[in-house]
Amino acid sequence: MSDYDSGDCFCEMQSQHNQPHLSKITKRLDGLDISALRRRARDAERELFNLGVTFTVYTDRDAIDRILPFDVIPRVLSKQDWATIESGVKQRVAALNLFLHDIYHDGHILKDGIIPAQLVKGNKNYRPEMQGVDVPQGTYVHICGTDLVRNENGTFLVLEDNGRCPSGVSYVLENRHLMMRAFPDLADGIPIADVDAYGSRLARAMSEVAPQNMSDPTIVLLSPGIYNSAYFEHVFLAREMGVQLVEGRDLLVEDDTVFMRTTSGKQRVDVIYRRIDDAYLDPESFHRDSALGVPGLFAAYCKGNVNLANAVGTGVADDKAVYAYVPRIIRYYLDQDPILPNVPTNICGEEAGLKKTLDNLDKLVSKPVGEAGGYGVVVGPRASKRELAKLRSLVTADPGNYISQPMIGLSVSPTLIGRAIEPRHVDLRPFALTGEDTWVLPGGLTRVAMKHGSLIVNSSQGGGSKDTWVLV
Amino acid sequence: MSRTSTSLVARFAANTFWLGRYLERTENLARILHINETYARDKPEGPDWQRILDLYSDSERFHENHEDTSAQSVLQFYILDRNNPSSIVSSVISARENARSIRHLISTEMWTHLNIFYSQLLKMKAREIQPAKLANTASDIVLSCQTFEGIAEGTFLRGEPACFYHLGKYIERADQTTRILDIGYGLLPLGKGDAVTSVQWNVLLRSVSGYHAYRSRYPGRSRVVDIESFLLYDNEFPRALTHCVDRITERIRDMERRHGTKRHSEVEGTRRELEFALETGPGRDITPEMLHAFLDRFQVLLANVSDAVRKTYFG
Repeated sequence: MSDYDSGDCFCEMQSQHNQPHLSKITKRLDGLDISALRRRARDAERELFNLGVTFTVYTDRDAIDRILPFDVIPRVLSKQDWATIESGVKQRVAALNLFLHDIYHDGHILKDGIIPAQLVKGNKNYRPEMQGVDVPQGTYVHICGTDLVRNENGTFLVLEDNGRCPSGVSYVLENRHLMMRAFPDLADGIPIADVDAYGSRLARAMSEVAPQNMSDPTIVLLSPGIYNSAYFEHVFLAREMGVQLVEGRDLLVEDDTVFMRTTSGKQRVDVIYRRIDDAYLDPESFHRDSALGVPGLFAAYCKGNVNLANAVGTGVADDKAVYAYVPRIIRYYLDQDPILPNVPTNICGEEAGLKKTLDNLDKLVSKPVGEAGGYGVVVGPRASKRELAKLRSLVTADPGNYISQPMIGLSVSPTLIGRAIEPRHVDLRPFALTGEDTWVLPGGLTRVAMKHGSLIVNSSQGGGSKDTWVLV
Repeated sequence: MSRTSTSLVARFAANTFWLGRYLERTENLARILHINETYARDKPEGPDWQRILDLYSDSERFHENHEDTSAQSVLQFYILDRNNPSSIVSSVISARENARSIRHLISTEMWTHLNIFYSQLLKMKAREIQPAKLANTASDIVLSCQTFEGIAEGTFLRGEPACFYHLGKYIERADQTTRILDIGYGLLPLGKGDAVTSVQWNVLLRSVSGYHAYRSRYPGRSRVVDIESFLLYDNEFPRALTHCVDRITERIRDMERRHGTKRHSEVEGTRRELEFALETGPGRDITPEMLHAFLDRFQVLLANVSDAVRKTYFG
């Protein structure tokens, strides 16, 4: 760590003063020589492969299993920081659930002009079919993964809400297991919040939102199948919850009731934790050519005979354009100031926002609103003239599809790169579960951009992950 | 038994069944290739690899792409050829694909071991399956299968999935034992008065890990009829047909308890035929032709059980 220099960025390890546990960890890392660290890192990666903690890339002939690169130096969150994040995430989830209920019922927030009706009802993730459908406990977003970043001052900002099928929680739990096996000495005597409860909390939340308050509902996890890149996570969660992992072909609907095909015939299903997008859920209601879905599922859901988590139509709440309004949404429903601020956002669909964006393309980060996984993001100061020109024509042609944000000097965390420890940018995705009320898994997924200077942490773009320690 | 309210998804029943079958097949195929090579050591003309192709009815498929039945080409075909669906590497890939679908139902250790086994096979080079190296390579493969089995024994929850896994495993094992016996009787010299004249019979027993077991059953005796009755009827020997059929019966009883007799009648019918075939099977006046006919018929009866299970439970 002696050659480590985080420059102007906020460093997760070194910029936090008066944290005795952090300096203890730094000292222990200093005590390990780099070869030992490398060796342990290599062992950890091999273990991930053998455990099959992988995402899979398919070619014609082979299934290539890749592991999410794992960095052995943990990211540590203080008790105070965690208290802010936890309450901020709960507040945000509460507001988003109230928002979804409102827009799919009376639409007060639209009538009151807090958010443009067109932005909501014209959104491609708005599902008119959900109008008037009541969901148990009024919970739409049961599983939420809120992406946070930390700026130069050490303030946490919300970058994005993931209210559809947020993924990555399996890495949080596996990274912890791996860390405790590879570096039991690093955590010795340091009080770290446990993450093991996630599966049972998830099962509990699913039970709480079962139709008609039934006591011992049959819960299943619906996956697109073994060819899905997140299949490992589906397996992991089904196991942690102790429920069956099914595909669309294992389910059928009769009399608006959902059943699974079992060895003893049909068995009723009450709650489905689905890891399939809305569009593929039910060929009768959405994409007609979906082979992944279950015909008749949506009708059964509307009748209240089965519950889906997350609800259908939540995508409108984690839309990048609606995101800009979330602070106002929080004030509207909860009459509170947001605990976690947004990154200031220009909405290109609004005249002022569009002008500001086009005038400052080279200084701003521009994002298409409909994309996930970091696709289509242009980082102005790092883009070539040609890329900027292309962006300008895209934004001008379809302003409603773009937002822009100022560059945030993302915080860094010391990361093992080759034979050195170097600063790399990180973000944080805490996971919140909501049944009757909301619980937040302490910590969350710390993603790290493994390339020098890169701000994009997505696994599809070469990002890795770290174990995240919440001090208690 | 706790929480039996949820029955197994039908597709997973098939996956666990095939997981058991593919791994058992892998283990036995490695054993068979190994004994065929070992038999040849005393013969001037070398091992007869065509025989193995006949044993699995693979001759036609093999000759589509191969001209001669050299050791190297047959071993390649049965161990590393990914275009051959019944090669060891294909069986392990299939086992792993089945396991992948039921990863939430098997233990992490089972999955991890299968992953390690799989990557070992993918890395295996042609030189490792040359006849001279075959013994080592085959024992490694057998050991990996046995390790998996040991892990399953110690970690696999004995619910419905384990039931289908065992059923697949024992149906396959019985089938493979019939093939090993068949290869022995066709290939090996039968001495006058049934006295075993060749050490190669011992090799056959060793190939099913039955040499010492046989010795302790028949101290000081090496007679073909004894070896035959040991492999057919000694229900304390884990690879004997009666032992396999007893285990199949137990698992079928478990399923009956879970799912009721009515639903189950076809499976039970095919099981009884299996039992009956053994009760009326060849005795001490056996000839090679009779044995061959019996083994052929027994393979068909095993396939009938497998088929009935598929129709009844795999939806």
